[in-house]
Amino acid sequence: MNQSIQLVILGLTLGGVFALMASGLTLIFGVMGIVNLAHAAFMVLAAFVAFWAFKYLGLDPILSIPFVMPIMFLVGVAVYRLLFARALADPHKRGVTVLVTFALALIVEGVLGYLFSNIYRSTRPSYASDAILVGPFYLPEAQFYATLLSIAILGGLWAFLQYTRTGYAIRATMHNRTAAEVVGVNVDRISMLVFGIGMALAGASGSMLSFLFSFYPSKHWEWVAILLSLVVLGGMGSLLGALIGALALSVIAAFVSAEFGPTWSPVTFYLALFVILLVRPQGLLGKKPEF
Amino acid sequence: MALLEIENVVAGYGIGPDILTGLSLKIEPDRSYCIVGPNGAGKSTLLKAICGLVPPRRGRVTFEGADLAGLRTDEILRRGICFVPQDRSLFPDMTVTENIRMGGYILKDRRAVENRIDEVFGMFPILRDRKSQLAKTLSGGQQQMLLLGRALVLRPRVIMLDEPSLGLAPIVSKQIFDSMAELKRAGIAIIVVEQNARMGLKFSDWGCVLDLGKLVFEGPSQAVLSDPRIEELYLGRVRPRTGTDG
Repeated sequence: MNQSIQLVILGLTLGGVFALMASGLTLIFGVMGIVNLAHAAFMVLAAFVAFWAFKYLGLDPILSIPFVMPIMFLVGVAVYRLLFARALADPHKRGVTVLVTFALALIVEGVLGYLFSNIYRSTRPSYASDAILVGPFYLPEAQFYATLLSIAILGGLWAFLQYTRTGYAIRATMHNRTAAEVVGVNVDRISMLVFGIGMALAGASGSMLSFLFSFYPSKHWEWVAILLSLVVLGGMGSLLGALIGALALSVIAAFVSAEFGPTWSPVTFYLALFVILLVRPQGLLGKKPEF
Repeated sequence: MALLEIENVVAGYGIGPDILTGLSLKIEPDRSYCIVGPNGAGKSTLLKAICGLVPPRRGRVTFEGADLAGLRTDEILRRGICFVPQDRSLFPDMTVTENIRMGGYILKDRRAVENRIDEVFGMFPILRDRKSQLAKTLSGGQQQMLLLGRALVLRPRVIMLDEPSLGLAPIVSKQIFDSMAELKRAGIAIIVVEQNARMGLKFSDWGCVLDLGKLVFEGPSQAVLSDPRIEELYLGRVRPRTGTDG
């Protein structure tokens, strides 16, 4: 019993971070219909930024987040303007965007590989290997902080989407792009903003990735596969779905890892992907085409 | 001066062919218009060209004398031209109230928007009864009313509707047309595209007949309705017989 509770704790403390990682991906898909295969590549890029900032400036990876997020936001805006704005204006070209994001992932990976070589790295702040003891249970400190922070960022994002005028416009664009355009939402500007936000979220999660996991430039393929399965599980474009999917799957993955060994834990995500596609293709909270 | 003037407009989608092929039309205030014509005549494209969703390739659209060229949809909306597209484009997972509030998205004054939401409820009491329901749970007719309500929040000068009766029972369509008549009385110019030409013309003052991207003829609705050319357009052209023909 105690061991099960311990595993749930371990799962949940990673799940929050997974949810943050998936949120940017699902948001960009929800608003623009772009499956951003480069999402995890940008996470790894941000992890490298956090790594070097820690190594040479002594900047804690958690404290680097307020700097990494705005920078990645601007990167996102630039990428959107340069690569996606025109493609989105023409519905026939929308399908091409997945190839563009694939190319983008390869380019980011290539540049990182050229600059930093493909060796394992990881940021080691003082709390990286510590744990807090709560009664009989271990709370890994790094995971705990990362998940708390992830949930705080997701909460902020949710409040922004729910209560601000721009948030309304983003949700409206997600629900129905034409209708949003008709009521006067500048969908091009909203798309640019959301691409920036998605990248900023990738940046924040990259900073956390840098001390939770080891990484190297081509590591992002593994990540993007896991994140896509989370997004499909939750329902493409649904933030709450991604959160529930991330928490549930990382708990299951913790059990699988304890039972069969850690190499099997990623399999959990892919199996869940198959199952969800078979029994509920629209995902937990995804919308079926209704109109 | 006409309220809205369309001069020689040529428009089409993406890199596709011209759908509107030099269309000219004048819209006078305080009048309701019904645009009819066979499939592919360019009826919907005309509305989209006016509101900026499909920017004209050539020609001019002027509203109260000012050229609308190069303006985005939201900027044209700000001038008072509202478009209600065909595909029931509501926000399905937002409530009725939220949908109407989105109609006032471009207005900065939030309090004014809330007041106008109340006005809309006054006009469509059924929407007030269902204000907390999600839009996707409404019936087809209620959704159409919600679309009208959402457009009205802006107090537009012109409302353009693309096939508002599509998929509705005749009695429900009649209700929708009745509410449009009320809007006309409130001084809003109405432009309706209707597949059901008889119904559309019956409820409007002026009929415009389109074919192959041009205005073929126009006139008071009654006259258009009884014009033999209408039948010709819908049932096929009457070819002049020649000696060698069948």
